Parts: sequence; C-alpha cells; structure tokens
Amino acid sequence: MSTIAMPTPDEAIIARKSEIVAALAAALPAETIVSDPEETRAYECDALTAYRCPPLAVVLPRTTEEVATAMRICHGLRVPVIPRGAGTSLAGGALPTADSVVIGTMRLREFLEIDTANRYIRVQTGVTNLSVSAELESEGFFYAPDPSSQLACTIAGNIGMNSGGAHCLKYGVTANNLLGVRMVLATGEIVELGGPLLGASGLDILSLICGSEGQLAIVTEATLRIVPKPEGARPMLIGFDSAETAGECVARIIRSGVLPVAIEYMDDVCLRAVEAFSKAGYPDCPAVLIVEVEGSDQEIADQIERIRAVAAELHPIEFRCSRNADESQAIWKGRKSAFGAMGRLGDYLCLDGTVPVSKLPYALKRIGELSKKAGLEVANVFHAGDGNMHPLILFNANRPGDLERAEALGNDILRLCVDLGGCLSGEHGVGVEKRDLMPTQFAPDDMAIQMEIKGAFDRAWLLNPAKVFPLEASRPHREGAATCS
Amino acid sequence: MLLKTCDGGNASNFTAPGDESELAAFVEESYARRRALHIAGGGTRVRWAEVGGDFLLTARGLGGIVTYEPGELTLIARAGTPVEEIEQTLAAQGQALAFEPMDHRLLLGSSGTPTIGGVVSANVCGPRRVQAGACRDYILGVRFVDGKGRIIKNGGRVMKNVTGLNLGRLLCGSYGTLGILSEVALKTLPMAESQQTLAFGGVSAAEAVELFSAALRTPFEVSGAAFRGATAWLRVEGFSRQVEYRRERLITLFRDRKIDIYGEEESRSLWRGLRDLHHFAGTSDAVWRIFVKPTDAPAVVAALQALGGDASLDWGGGLIWYCGSGDAVSVRKAAEGGQATLVRGGALPASPIFPPEPKGIAYLSAALRKTFDPAGIFNPGLVDG
Amino acid sequence: MQTNFTEDQLADPATRRSNEILRSCVHCGFCTATCPTYKVLGDELDSPRGRIYLMKDMLENSKVPDEKTVKHIDRCLSCLSCMTTCPSGVHYMHLVDHAREYIEQNYKRRWDERALRWLLARILPYPGRFRVALLGAKLAKPFRKLLPDARLRAMLEMVPARLPAPSPSDHPQTIPAENDRVKRVALLTGCAQRALNTDINDATIRLLRRHGCEVVIAKGIGCCGALTHHMGKTRESHQMAAINVRALTAEIDAGGLDAVVINTSGCGTTVKDYGHMFRNDALAEDAGRVAALAKDITEVLSDLGLKDASHAEPLRVAYHAACSLQHGQQVRSAPKDLLKAAGFVVVEPRDSHICCGSAGTYNLLQPAISVELKARKVATLEAIRPQVICTGNIGCMMQIGSGTGIPVVHTVELLDWATGGPRPSSLGQVASAESPRAQLVSA
Repeated sequence: MSTIAMPTPDEAIIARKSEIVAALAAALPAETIVSDPEETRAYECDALTAYRCPPLAVVLPRTTEEVATAMRICHGLRVPVIPRGAGTSLAGGALPTADSVVIGTMRLREFLEIDTANRYIRVQTGVTNLSVSAELESEGFFYAPDPSSQLACTIAGNIGMNSGGAHCLKYGVTANNLLGVRMVLATGEIVELGGPLLGASGLDILSLICGSEGQLAIVTEATLRIVPKPEGARPMLIGFDSAETAGECVARIIRSGVLPVAIEYMDDVCLRAVEAFSKAGYPDCPAVLIVEVEGSDQEIADQIERIRAVAAELHPIEFRCSRNADESQAIWKGRKSAFGAMGRLGDYLCLDGTVPVSKLPYALKRIGELSKKAGLEVANVFHAGDGNMHPLILFNANRPGDLERAEALGNDILRLCVDLGGCLSGEHGVGVEKRDLMPTQFAPDDMAIQMEIKGAFDRAWLLNPAKVFPLEASRPHREGAATCS
Repeated sequence: MLLKTCDGGNASNFTAPGDESELAAFVEESYARRRALHIAGGGTRVRWAEVGGDFLLTARGLGGIVTYEPGELTLIARAGTPVEEIEQTLAAQGQALAFEPMDHRLLLGSSGTPTIGGVVSANVCGPRRVQAGACRDYILGVRFVDGKGRIIKNGGRVMKNVTGLNLGRLLCGSYGTLGILSEVALKTLPMAESQQTLAFGGVSAAEAVELFSAALRTPFEVSGAAFRGATAWLRVEGFSRQVEYRRERLITLFRDRKIDIYGEEESRSLWRGLRDLHHFAGTSDAVWRIFVKPTDAPAVVAALQALGGDASLDWGGGLIWYCGSGDAVSVRKAAEGGQATLVRGGALPASPIFPPEPKGIAYLSAALRKTFDPAGIFNPGLVDG
Repeated sequence: MQTNFTEDQLADPATRRSNEILRSCVHCGFCTATCPTYKVLGDELDSPRGRIYLMKDMLENSKVPDEKTVKHIDRCLSCLSCMTTCPSGVHYMHLVDHAREYIEQNYKRRWDERALRWLLARILPYPGRFRVALLGAKLAKPFRKLLPDARLRAMLEMVPARLPAPSPSDHPQTIPAENDRVKRVALLTGCAQRALNTDINDATIRLLRRHGCEVVIAKGIGCCGALTHHMGKTRESHQMAAINVRALTAEIDAGGLDAVVINTSGCGTTVKDYGHMFRNDALAEDAGRVAALAKDITEVLSDLGLKDASHAEPLRVAYHAACSLQHGQQVRSAPKDLLKAAGFVVVEPRDSHICCGSAGTYNLLQPAISVELKARKVATLEAIRPQVICTGNIGCMMQIGSGTGIPVVHTVELLDWATGGPRPSSLGQVASAESPRAQLVSA
C-alpha cells in the first residue's frame, strides 16, 4: 500500500448519494452529470495514477452559472468538491475521495474576446493552453506559459497550479501572464478579479488564486496577457559527458548576460525514450542541454556565438543548432513529450523539486547516489535554466512494494531539494504527492497562515480539502469546518 | 485613512527595530495591546499623518543584502536595505531590477532613503513594467511579521516555486496592511547593454496610444512607451547591435512620421525623468496615478484635462499620471473604467487614496486582512472597509 | 499504469496483448486533446483515456459489458488520432479492436441495433448487394423524413444522387504497364467504393500503368474485412481477410508482387495490420508478407516519382487528410507533396488532424456526432476557400461531399489528370474563372 493516505470518506455523505445526485439533476441539464459507478471510475485519478479513488459523481458544466449552481448545491449539502481541468496533473491535484463531487471545467471552451490593441485575450478556462496560442496565431501573438502538457492541459488547471513550462525562463509562469479571472467560490458566489488593466489598487487576490490548487475557488474565465511572437527562434543542442558539467554550463550561460528563452536538460535514459517517439535526432550523450534563443536571424546568430563561447570552456562533446523549423519543432515535440515517452520504459513517479541553479551539479550527483542506493533507476529531464528538476523514478507498478520504494526515494530527493535552498514543487503543485512533505519546507506558522487563508475563502473546507496540507495539520480545519454553518 | 501632507513621525512614537525578532516582538506586543501601527519603509513615499498615540513602525533598521547569486539571477535582501545599495550591487555584475522602481522623492518633496521593503509593499514599478512586468513579478520569496507577531516565511530563492500559496505576490502592493516585510528575495535580470529612444514629436494622446499599440505588437521588445506634452517616446534596449536593429525596424514601421533618436545618455536621463515624474515635481497640485485600458487613455486624458491640469502617459497608455486641481470625485468619474489612486494630496481636501473596491472583492479583502491582522493594527483605515 | 490481470487471463493472447498496451499507458491525457469525440462531447469517457479505463475495467474483471461502457466505446471513431499523439506508444487500435470483439461476444445489443449491424455487415462489404441496396435506397430517399430512426435517415441521406454502372476494371485481370514495366502491383479494388464510385479505380489503374506498373486484379479479392472488423465481428472480418491473403499470396507466388496498392485508406490500415490479425494463425506468415507489401497509392507514386505532371489547371486544392492515412498509416506528406509536384496549390484546413466523422460505418451508427464533426470539418475546409477538396478515402469523400457544394475528388483523380488523364468529371465548371493566386490573396 502506498504511504500516502486520504481522509476516511464520510459514510454519511456516501449514503446520501442519490439525494445529492437528484439535487444536482434537478438544477442542471442531464448530460452534465455522471454518476454511474461504471463511468465515475474514469475520473478516479489524473496523470498521477499511483493514487486512485472514484468520486461520488462528476459534474461537467458548460457555463459559469452552471458551475455556480453545482457549487451551491454541494455547499448546501456539505459535499466536498474536487475541481478538475484536463486531468493532466502529475501531483494528484484532481484526485477525488469517495465522498466528493468532481466539477470539471473541460466543457467551458469558448474564446470570449481578443484585444490585440490592449494585448489580452479572454477565454473560458476549459480551453487548452495550446489552443489559446492557436487562436492568436493569425494576429501574431501567443500565450507564453507552455507547460509540457500544453496540448491537453486547460487554462483552469494552469491557473490552479500556476503552471510554468520551458519558456518561462524568459516569459514567466502563469502568475506573470494572468490579468484577471471570473471564478466561483465554494458557496457558489461568482466573483471577478482584475481584468485588462496593468495595475490595480487593493489586495492582489488574483495572486493567491493562481496556484491555489483549486482550494479557494473554481476559475471559469480568465483574461490573459498576450505577447508578440518573436521573429524567429532556434534551439541548439549541447551534449556533455557528465550531468555535472551540463549543470555548470547552465549557471555560466546565465551569468554571461545572455538570457535564453529556455534551457532544458535531458539525460541519456530520457533521450533514448524520447528519440523513439519524436525522431528529433538528439545526440547520444550522457547529458544534453537544449538552449533556445529568439529574435531576428542576426540576433539569433549573435546569441548563439555568445553561448557557444561559454559552452566551449567546458568542452562539450556535441554542439549543434537546429537547421530549420521542422527540426526545431521535432526537438521541442520530443522534449515536451518526455514524460509520456518515458512510459515506454515502464511506470514512473515524476518529481518537481527546484534547486538554486548553482546547486544543480551537486543535486544531480546526489540524486544519482540516492538512486543507486534505492536500487531504482532515475531519469532526469527538466527546466535547467530555473533549476526546476523533474527526476523520473522508474519502477514497476505491478510489482508489490515497488511503489513504496519509489515514494521513499522521491521523498529523499525532495528533501534534498529543500536542503539545498530549493522547494518541493516548481510548477506541478503539491497536490497529494508532496503534501506530507510540506513540513520540511514550512514551519508550522508558515503553513498555518495558508490554511487560515483557505478558511477565509472556504469556511466549510469543501474545496479540494485533502490536498496541499498534511492531513494531520489540516484536520482541525476540516473537522471544525464540517460543523460550521 | 485620509491622506494629509507628508510629515515625519515624531521621535516619541517612532520605532525601527534592528532585527526580525525584535520586530516580531514589537508587533506581538502591539497585537496584545491592540495598538495601531503605521507601517513605513524609508518614509520617502507617503509619511502617514500621526493618529493619537499610535506608533510609526519601520523596517528600515533591518538592512543589508543577505545573498546575491548573479548566476542564479537571485538577490535576497533585508527589507530596510536601500534600493540604491541593491541597484549598485547588481550593476557591478551587469544586472538590474527589471521593473525599474520609481523614486518618489522629487515628486513628493520628501527626504529619506527608499528601501526595498517599501518598494515591494507598494509594488512600485517604472516604465519598463509594460514589457518586463511589475515589481510583483520579481518576488521569489518573503519573510514578514503578521498582525499577531508571527514570523512567516513564504516562497524562497528559486525562480519557480508553486509550493503552497503565493503570499509574496499578495504582500506586494498590500501597503503594509497584511504584514510588515522583514526580507525579500527578488529575481534579477541582466542589465541591457545599450538603449536608445525614438521620439515622435507633434502627436496627440490618441495618436500616441495608436503608436504604442503598433509598436508593442512588434517583436522588438519595446521597453518603454510614454507620452507627455506632444511627444511620444519608444525605448529599445539590448545588445548594441540588437538595439540598432530594433531601432531601424521601428523607424521603417513608422516611416511616415518624423522621428528623433536619443542616444544612450540622453535616453537614460529621459526615462529616469519620466519614471520619477520630474515634469510634475515642481508643481503643487494633487497627483493621481490612473490605470486604464490603453485604448481608453485618450478619452480619459481629455476628461482629466477638462478638469484643469495636465496628464502624461506611460506603459503604452495603460498608466495615466494626472496632475491637476480636479477634485477626487471628478477625477474618479473621469477615470471611469479605470482605477485612480491619489499619490500626492497637494492642495486637495482630505480624500480617499484608493478607489472603493467592488462588493464581492471587498468582502474577500476584508476576510484576508482579518486573517493576517486579526486585531486590525496595521495601517488601519488606509483602505476603506 | 498498473494492471490487475490474473495469470489465467494472461494465458489468452488477446488479453496478454491488451495488458501490454495498458501497461504502456501513463495516463498523461495528451490523447484527449486530439480526440474528435472528446472535442464534441467534453466528457473524458468519450476520450481515448476514458475509454482505455473502461476497457481496462471490463477486461480485467472479465465483466459482462454494461450499457454505458458499450455506449462510450461505440462512440469511438477509430480514427487513431490518439495514436499519433501518444508519446508512450500505446497501441490503442489493437486495444479497441479487442474490446469490440469482446463486446460483440459478450454483450447483447437491443434488437434494432443488432438488426442494423447485421444488415450493414451483410451488405456493405459486397459490391453487388450494396449496389442493389443503393438503388432501393435511392427510391426511398424522398421519404426519409418519415423514418423514426436517425440512423436509418442518416443512411438514406448518404445515398448519392448518381450511381455508376459496374466498371470492367474491377474484374480479375492483369493490365500491362504502358511502357517498360518497372513494378508489378496488385490493386485492392475495394467493396463499397466500387459500388459508389468507379472513377477512383479507373484513375488509379491509368496512373499506375502510366508510371510503369503492371496492375493485377487478383482473382477472388474482396472486402479487406475492415467494415466488419470495426463492428467487432471478428469471425466475418477474418474470413474476408483470409480470402484476400490467399488471393494475394497466390499472385506473389505466381508472378511476384512489388506492392499491394490500396486507394481506400480505411482498407489500407487494416491490410497493413493483417500480420497482427493472423499472428496466432496458420496464415501468419502469408498475412505478414501481404501486410508488408501493402502500400497506399500515394506511397507507391512517391517511390516512382510523378512523370510529366503538367496537364492540369493549377487549382487551389484543399487536402483533407483521411484519418486512416494520417493516423492509421502515418502517411502524411506523400499526398501533399505529389499534389504540389502536380502543380496544384495545396492548402490545409485548421485542425487537419481531426476526423470528418465518416469513419467506416460510424456515420450510419452514430449520426449525431458524425453530423457535428462533418459540419466542423466542412466549415474549416470552406474557410480556406478551395476550388476543389481532395482526399484519399471514399468514406471521407462521401461524408464531406454531402455537406458542401465544393467538389470533392480522390487524390488519384487529380494526379491522373495532371499526368495526362481526363479532367475529373465531378469538377464540373469549377475553377478557371478565378485564378488561384487571386483567391489566395482574398483568403
């Protein structure tokens, strides 16, 4: 059995299932509700499949008002609500409990407004990340945050987790590109925050919502900053004979004053799996950096020369630039599919710890040692420019005991990240995966105030209640709230 | 609270703790006694009028850079560290604070030293905000003391961190109403090697905004787009060759217009003046900072000018600076659809600094303030409700 | 992801294969983004990931399939867009084929559904029967509004206004190359296609001969088995496939074959999978050989290179990639490259990876979703203002053709025209009036 526990479901709520479903059905169109046990099973987990539990029911609304209706009903009946975007979370952010109702945003798919003069787009949050940029394509703009799952993940989930991506080294993460939201509180109340303005007086509540892992509200509409597309972009591949040297190269590039749009790292285990899918022609080296620069042809050439000079000091075994758009596309397609492609090698746990860039070489070395000690292979693929590591612990889910060993190794690696001055999660969120490690990064007061904030938004603690905070720490809040009116 | 003229705290009720635990202890005691505190940094922006026997509490006693890692683009400093010290330290490594914080001293006629804690608490940004983001976008982590005297840490020193709620961004721009900052971790960026400015003379506000929208949709990373009098300026930055390229491309884009080019030095001094509102410094009228949708700016400017006074634009039209004699109600009416904040009271009768919050949000803000500051001792009355 | 099959269950080769496939899925959800039914319905149960879950549950627990599971699996188009998207290489096709077979064997459909499927399985694969049915349906078409069942109405809607007479090209024969023989190829003449449109095979044969191919219409060749295979009727589909394997093996043994040419990409996907279909059968080796020789017509022509392709008007052609070609066979650039080489201006609609809703018998069995997908596809195609739409699959041609006034032709018809064949008759008076360049600008 996994070491990660979920709260014991409230049998009283489960016993009231038919009443709850009937209340939802009375207020919402029939096709919005999924309650048959055969069907709710498909919603038992997200992209973290190690932990699973079918919910009581699933609601798939088409409008903000329908979301509000569902929330109001669940709140009235004191049923926990689990928000779900596209279900691509690697941290178990959308993992249900047996006494919960999942509210999915995947049917909120309208593009509401594009304003290029004021540089924003307004969307319903069930649209996928990539489709936002596709919608802007003809206008010469794009939406910058690019989580690797951008093909499938939704803006709702991006806001929930404050998603990053490869190119946030230059363009920032979701929080830096989010201007406003329309959202539904646990009570069903609809609130609007921010908008197209570049500044606002008053508290920046939006910054709390972004990255709140669905614990404060369900965001149904978003105003997003849009950015002009660069004239051109070109990735280069730099291969090294050791992880440490590659890590050193990253810090040196940044110190040199060039700021690439992305610096990505892949090790040989990962490269082979990814090559099988993308056929991008990655070099076969122990460690490869993908460094991308942007601009006009001349600007790109100038930056490449600066980076080449920095890398040369470390004697790379391979240095080459993408020759054309197709090759660049293949390089990125491969990188962005890396987690999925690793499925070719077996099951894995994907970590998301971040370390200061200068600590990358040491962190990689220690991870290698920990991996050897645990007897589980670890592949590394990550956003090196900002120290956001993604060690992938390979294991066999069908072999009893393997998951627990992988979890233990994962915990050791994440503790290492925190010890080095980093954090548990750089972009995937805490979810359930890192929940129990929170005390390694936060003192009791640091965590207490966050739970108090949740309580300020959601007095009854019904929204995604068993995530982010260790169950022991959140218990008084959850249980106290259950009795509040 | 109502803004009155700037004035310093008198010595008897002025407290500047020398370290974080002292700061926490003082707040804890204040919490126990329900003693209202006025929170300030270097006291250069707004020096709050004293009320009764309350204390002016400042973190300016907590000084010094804790760590600076140029290879990680990370700087950690105690809240009372002078902005100037930080900028000099960064400049020595060819880096800078990309959000280009404004210095309010000349405009407000204040003395004192701007601190990084003050900058963060007020989310102070400059012209580069339009391209590089706000102060808030560069906060990696904070340490602060909440209204009960608890020392809270949030975020850290790494560029990507989604572990738990992001309180650093929330504290940024909260004007000390949620907590008093003791330490901030900031993301730094390489300083542009070179800059130039394109000046477009004889344009109206409406033409300026059109020009800005056209320039800001190019990939040339225009890092300043401001307007004053009848001139609009666009700043380009980067490596020397890049700046020349970008300048030429913009000249081609606006080939129908007459353009003057400002070289390095002239450009730097122009943007410093625009950043610090030198053009309104010698005047005595009230100064307002108004956020609008850029395309709404021309109409708002016209409405403001009708009230008497002058306005300038920054952030591609997204920010209007208004200096004039219009009363608060009229200014807020002229800025409808936007948000007007009073930065300098001037000759105005006491007026609310901030616009009222919409009802749904006001309720959440109040709940948050209560969470951070249950006794309501931080800058009470600064924000209505 | 984790699976829970017993050793006994894994003794069955089909289950073993499904277990392998399920184990390679990491549940990343990428496939949801490119699934047409998920795009339309927005419920994960109507996405590959949701269906994989339903199939996993059904197979692991050896369940009698329930109505809901069957509903969601029936809604799958088998367009295989998910396989193109899947980074971990999940072979969704083999999994869903297994699930369909399992459902067919273990689930009792309602009488009308059973009757409909029985009828389709007995008519569509047989050109003679299908032709008779079409003639009858043509008579009934004016009265279709009176029908109570959407599926029956959909069938009548699809009946074309003009039905061709049987073509002599379809008879077993060997047709010599025009000049020196470069290759000897067998042509799969198809089943439903032969009844609906004889121009395609005629154009294919002219095109192949012109490029030095001796074309064999093997004796006994018939439906490839795809239509029944997709209904889970494995016995029927394997029977049909076996006939083809034997017929083609005979030709291989007699005169050698350089390729088995297929101009209906839906069939191509199935023939290329014959090796898997018969992997546990005496026919395994022969089936493997036939599968290895199977090529889409555009693959063969790419190999040969187009000769003197200067005879057609340079029309603005919207290329619609049939799912069976782009996803099932991963043939993507060949058709477009050939069309460009033939002097056409080739444009592609937005979301070109999304199915038009034809999908074999899908448009007949799932009319509501199919009609929605058709409308979306037609809208994106019309948005790029083509003079003609071209594709490599008869099903797509019928589907798109029933939703737009723009002529729809098969890729081979345009290539045949460009290399000296007749102008496709369905083009009518299109084009020439407006130059493609002018249209490009206005678009």
